[in-house]
Amino acid sequence: MIQLESITRSFALGKEQINVLNDISLTIHEGEFVAIMGPSGSGKSTLMNIIGCLDKPSSGHYLLNGENVSDYSEKELASVRNRSIGFVFQQFHLLPRLTAVKNVELPMIYAGIAKAERQARAEEALAKMGLRDRMDHLPNALSGGQKQRVAIARAIVNKPKLILADEPTGALDTKTSMSIMEQFQELNREGVTIVVVTHEPEVAEYTNRTIMVRDGRIQSPSVADGR
Amino acid sequence: MSFFENLKMALSSLRAHKMRSILTMLGIVIGVGAVIIVVAIGQGGEAMLKTQITGPGNTIEMFYQPSDEEMRANPNILLQAPFKQEDIRALEQIPEVKRVVASSTQMSAARFQKKSIDVSSTGVNQAYLQLNELKVAKGRNLSTADFLGGRRVGLISSKLQEELFKGNNPVGKIITVANQPIEIVGVLEKPSGLLAFGSMEVYLPFQTWKIIYGSSDFTQVTLQAASAEQLQTAGKKAANLLNKMHNTEKSYQVINMEEMAQGIGQVTKIMTLIIGSIAGISLFVGGIGVMNIMLVSVTERTREIGIRMALGATRGQVLTQFLIESMTLTLIGGIIGIFLGWGASGIVSFFAGWPSLISWQVVVGGVLFSMIIGVIFGILPANKASKLDPIESLRYE
Ligand SMILES: Nc1ncnc2c1ncn2[C@@H]1O[C@H](COP(=O)(O)OP(=O)(O)OP(=O)(O)O)[C@@H](O)[C@H]1O
Ligand SMILES: [Mg+2]
Repeated sequence: MIQLESITRSFALGKEQINVLNDISLTIHEGEFVAIMGPSGSGKSTLMNIIGCLDKPSSGHYLLNGENVSDYSEKELASVRNRSIGFVFQQFHLLPRLTAVKNVELPMIYAGIAKAERQARAEEALAKMGLRDRMDHLPNALSGGQKQRVAIARAIVNKPKLILADEPTGALDTKTSMSIMEQFQELNREGVTIVVVTHEPEVAEYTNRTIMVRDGRIQSPSVADGR
Repeated sequence: MSFFENLKMALSSLRAHKMRSILTMLGIVIGVGAVIIVVAIGQGGEAMLKTQITGPGNTIEMFYQPSDEEMRANPNILLQAPFKQEDIRALEQIPEVKRVVASSTQMSAARFQKKSIDVSSTGVNQAYLQLNELKVAKGRNLSTADFLGGRRVGLISSKLQEELFKGNNPVGKIITVANQPIEIVGVLEKPSGLLAFGSMEVYLPFQTWKIIYGSSDFTQVTLQAASAEQLQTAGKKAANLLNKMHNTEKSYQVINMEEMAQGIGQVTKIMTLIIGSIAGISLFVGGIGVMNIMLVSVTERTREIGIRMALGATRGQVLTQFLIESMTLTLIGGIIGIFLGWGASGIVSFFAGWPSLISWQVVVGGVLFSMIIGVIFGILPANKASKLDPIESLRYE
């Protein structure tokens, strides 16, 4: 599903070039549940941004579902993000002025789905996350765990095959974190490929495989191909 | 994403900062309102001036402008009354002409008891009565019998009443005009309006006037047509007829109203343009206010933009969202401004005694124009929003 070949990502910092990602090759198969771990500043988020088509690699190839998305235009990448990828962030990133159900509708607005269907699907996704009675609440009126469930509902509502979560439990207490991870596990059982960045081994335990990143490199290449 | 979707989104963003949106709109409201007022009063004034040159009741004045040759042949020609009685009779035969109003004026002394005052003494024909130009305040108007019989009766202006009779009722009193006795049967209304100073005037039936002054010629002729459309034709025919009768080329003329109307239209248009562009400056300032607030809004909503991009919004869609937002702002402001300008120009015209005219073109133009302002002043902020980097925007605090 995800195939990275010799990916590098460098940023220009003044006159210097710093390589945040060095020659990363990585394969994640459809239906996997993967954790990415590593020290702070090692390049995990940078890697996730490339996998999520929010950023482009400086060199190397990225095949998503067999398609070379490194050649895609910005417009095509927006469409890939919209239809094929769901994002979950540490800070939830809900729009504060929109109710839960309106937040969940957002990706469908950009997919050009009609209002009635949008609403029905958003309500369905929220119900699946156990938020049937919180549909019309503004994010402010929700707990951290509930916000993250709204965010997950928003991530799955366009039925993407891939969900990317960058430290989804980073702002949550242990108990809530565990229930969020159970939610991901449930989604993974339904066939969605999930990649989670985390610092916590307890969180990584929910996944099937852990990839260690250090200084922009994958540390144990033996597990990088997923076999 | 549909336009309607965008519009709903824009309205909800504007509602989120009510006070700010209202204050920003105010600039557009005032700007559009000012332009509407200027245009409305300008167009109203133009329409009023145009009806004024046409004259009330579809009338047009004839005048005599002798050629150089005629002047050389008769140096005193301008002192003579240019219209003869047979001219009037001939003019009355033109089918488009409904009435021929003719009069003649001379300066004479009017005397009552010891007091003598110089007045303009005008002999009018009967058509004058029908045109209803002379409004009588006291006594009665001239009657058909007065005209036919050439009775020695007359009307005086209210100013003359003040001077000659010290405000006492003059009806029935006898004065002399050019040393001929005249019985006063009525006093005319005071002219209305700020700029109308009363003048010393006596009006006599033309038959009477003819006897007093020994002349049957007229100094002024006004034609009345059956309808406004026939007025120009009637005028042209009349001028041609008189030139033929007097063997002149083009000494008898009527005012070419089309040219006049065009000239007046041009003047009022230029005036409207000048004052309108001053009003336009306030609109421009309002537009800059919109741009400023939209730039602030883009910065404040950097994270929102990042989120939308992560969820699949293209740069084009972000641009459209902000453009429609600024357009909504100026459109609402513009519509309020149109209503306000409408009301205000109504009030102005009420006090100035000047009609105001709001045509549908102005309303449609105003609506379109305020939308265009939204686009012009929204393009910079919207462009800024669409150029944001999604990753950095998501990190923005
Ligand atoms: N736009 C950028 N310009 C310059 N340097 C950058 C940029 N983005 C990231 N970096 C650098 O790249 C390195 C990796 O950043 P990244 O956010 O991927 O780390 P991370 O592994 O996600 O860390 P954390 O666990 O703290 O989230 C950091 O040293 C960071 O300073
Ligand atoms: Mg990170």
